[in-house]
Amino acid sequence: MEIIKCENLQKIYQDNGVPVHALKGINLTINKGEFTVIAGPSGSGKTTLLNLLGALDKPTEGTVYFNGEVLYKKKRRELSRLRLENFGFVFQAYNLIPVLTALENIEFSMMLLGIPEKERREKAITLMEELGIAELANKRPNEMSGGQQQRVAVVRAIVNDPDVVFADEPTANLDSKTGDNLLNLMQEMNEKKQITFIFSSHDKQVMERAKRLLILKDGLLEKDN
Amino acid sequence: MLLRLAWRNIWRNKRRSLIVIGSVIVGVIATILMDALQNGMIHQMLFNQINLNVSNVQVHKKGFKDKKDINNFISKPAKVETIIKNQPHVKFYSKRVITFGLLSSTDNSSGVYIYGINPSQEKSVSIISKSIVKGKYLDASDGREIVLSKALAKKLNVTIGDKVVGMANTPSGSIGSDVFRVVGIFKTASSEFDKTTVFIPIVSAQQMLNIPGKIHEFAIITDKYENADIVSKALQKKLGKKYEALSYNEILPLLVLQMDLYKQLLIIVNLIIALALIFGIINAMLMAVYERIREIGVLMAVGMKNSKIFSMILIEALIIGVLGTIFGIIFGYGINALLLSGGIDLRWFAESLSSFGVGAIIYPKISLENFIQIITIIPLVSVVGAMYPALKAIRLEPVSAIRYV
Ligand SMILES: Nc1ncnc2c1ncn2[C@@H]1O[C@H](COP(=O)(O)OP(=O)(O)O)[C@@H](O)[C@H]1O
Ligand SMILES: [Mg+2]
Repeated sequence: MEIIKCENLQKIYQDNGVPVHALKGINLTINKGEFTVIAGPSGSGKTTLLNLLGALDKPTEGTVYFNGEVLYKKKRRELSRLRLENFGFVFQAYNLIPVLTALENIEFSMMLLGIPEKERREKAITLMEELGIAELANKRPNEMSGGQQQRVAVVRAIVNDPDVVFADEPTANLDSKTGDNLLNLMQEMNEKKQITFIFSSHDKQVMERAKRLLILKDGLLEKDN
Repeated sequence: MLLRLAWRNIWRNKRRSLIVIGSVIVGVIATILMDALQNGMIHQMLFNQINLNVSNVQVHKKGFKDKKDINNFISKPAKVETIIKNQPHVKFYSKRVITFGLLSSTDNSSGVYIYGINPSQEKSVSIISKSIVKGKYLDASDGREIVLSKALAKKLNVTIGDKVVGMANTPSGSIGSDVFRVVGIFKTASSEFDKTTVFIPIVSAQQMLNIPGKIHEFAIITDKYENADIVSKALQKKLGKKYEALSYNEILPLLVLQMDLYKQLLIIVNLIIALALIFGIINAMLMAVYERIREIGVLMAVGMKNSKIFSMILIEALIIGVLGTIFGIIFGYGINALLLSGGIDLRWFAESLSSFGVGAIIYPKISLENFIQIITIIPLVSVVGAMYPALKAIRLEPVSAIRYV
């Protein structure tokens, strides 16, 4: 079942007046439950594509559909809601709100949904225990290692039971063992909860895990398998 | 949680937040002290006038306030006195004969208001008896004695024991005159009052002016000065159209006007202080927003609505404003309390102050208006100042915010 689709997706940035053609026309369909990696060299447009699919940015040309609806016809407020309820994000770094503890960071998304304090606390603690990071609960981001921060970020991304999690080079700042653990975690979420994962990475370790691997080069899809 | 987030955000950059809070505190202290001084001075002017001769309520024959004519006397003082005596809130009263006349010594002469008074009554209504610097106050309702000010004594070149001649018109148009011995010399905070006012026993005044048993004024002190208007209105009603019962507000319209003007000035001063603070707050909040652009992007990415992000930034500024206001008020009142205990000694300016009827020592007095203005304007200004930075924050597209490193 198709969940995200894009047609002729193009993005042109203006870099001090110089146009940069970051995406040159991407056609892509992602089905529910996929574990997809978008790979490609640095500068090939991975982040740009992920941001467009995740409604964080607007395309210059082309359309993105989520569950059959056109994303960029929606108002800012509706997009906020969509990100809150249907999407989860894990960025390369600096994912967490520095003044909140790990537990509070995870609770934060649930708070935005209006879930009562007691309920969201219980859910956050349960998830942290399941994923073996319960001991981080009261630590602030600057008291955690990069790997620990990324794990908390993953939990935050999935806590509202989203349909899709976008992860932009989530392992780029991690050593391979930590990266492996993080990938295990996401794979588990994918299998258990049927959450669709879309990664970007130029990391072998990540590509090996992919159920579907897309190669992006110079703003165009080169390979899909 | 929004509140917790805002609170913690404030303390991320302790130094910057403390500087802003500090500037709010300084602003609040400045307005409190300025107000206390100014308001204290005006109140002192008012109370000085009240204590010198204005009292809280005056009763005259109709028209006396505007035309202090010898003929404008109260012909049946006993009847009026009974009404005043029975009026609630009246604490003290004093009967006065008042006329304008000429006071002469062998060396000089001066136009003065001659007050004929009953010393035992007058002591409760006016501070002159406590302002004697040489000699004594009057002690009987008759006798040819006079009390005048140090300034006037100097002008007439007289001292205790010397004789002066008082002269004034009588109702028939002839001149009444008498010789008085100087028994006391006073000095008040008002140089104007001092130059123009002398006191003699009431019976002697009635004799000199040929108005036996008549008086011009009842000067009344009420239990609380705020009750002056109630008492004057009640008395006016009971006394009828032939009399005028006036509260100090009506007798000192210029001072009352000055108080009103001051209240408006206070608003302007507070707005100026607020304007100064608003730039500090805009600046600090802009820096706070720019520092956190990436984080704001993350907040947007996880689905925080713009309106929430906006309020988060406003709440941060509000907390800063409220903290500054609270501590500013605590310090401001504290400093004020220290000053209040002794008053502010402005003896160096005593000369010029006394021409305004203010003593050399000012007792600061914080006005309620200022307190209300502080606790509304400052927090409001903080929020208003944060609006522009908050708008900047939510105008960002989430992705450009995240990219911003
Ligand atoms: N905001 C931007 N302004 C200008 N150029 C940009 C911007 N974002 C990305 N680019 C350019 O677009 C191209 C694709 O970037 P990106 O999507 O970040 O690639 P990747 O994530 O694969 O490294 C690069 O050439 C990059 O320099
Ligand atoms: Mg990238």
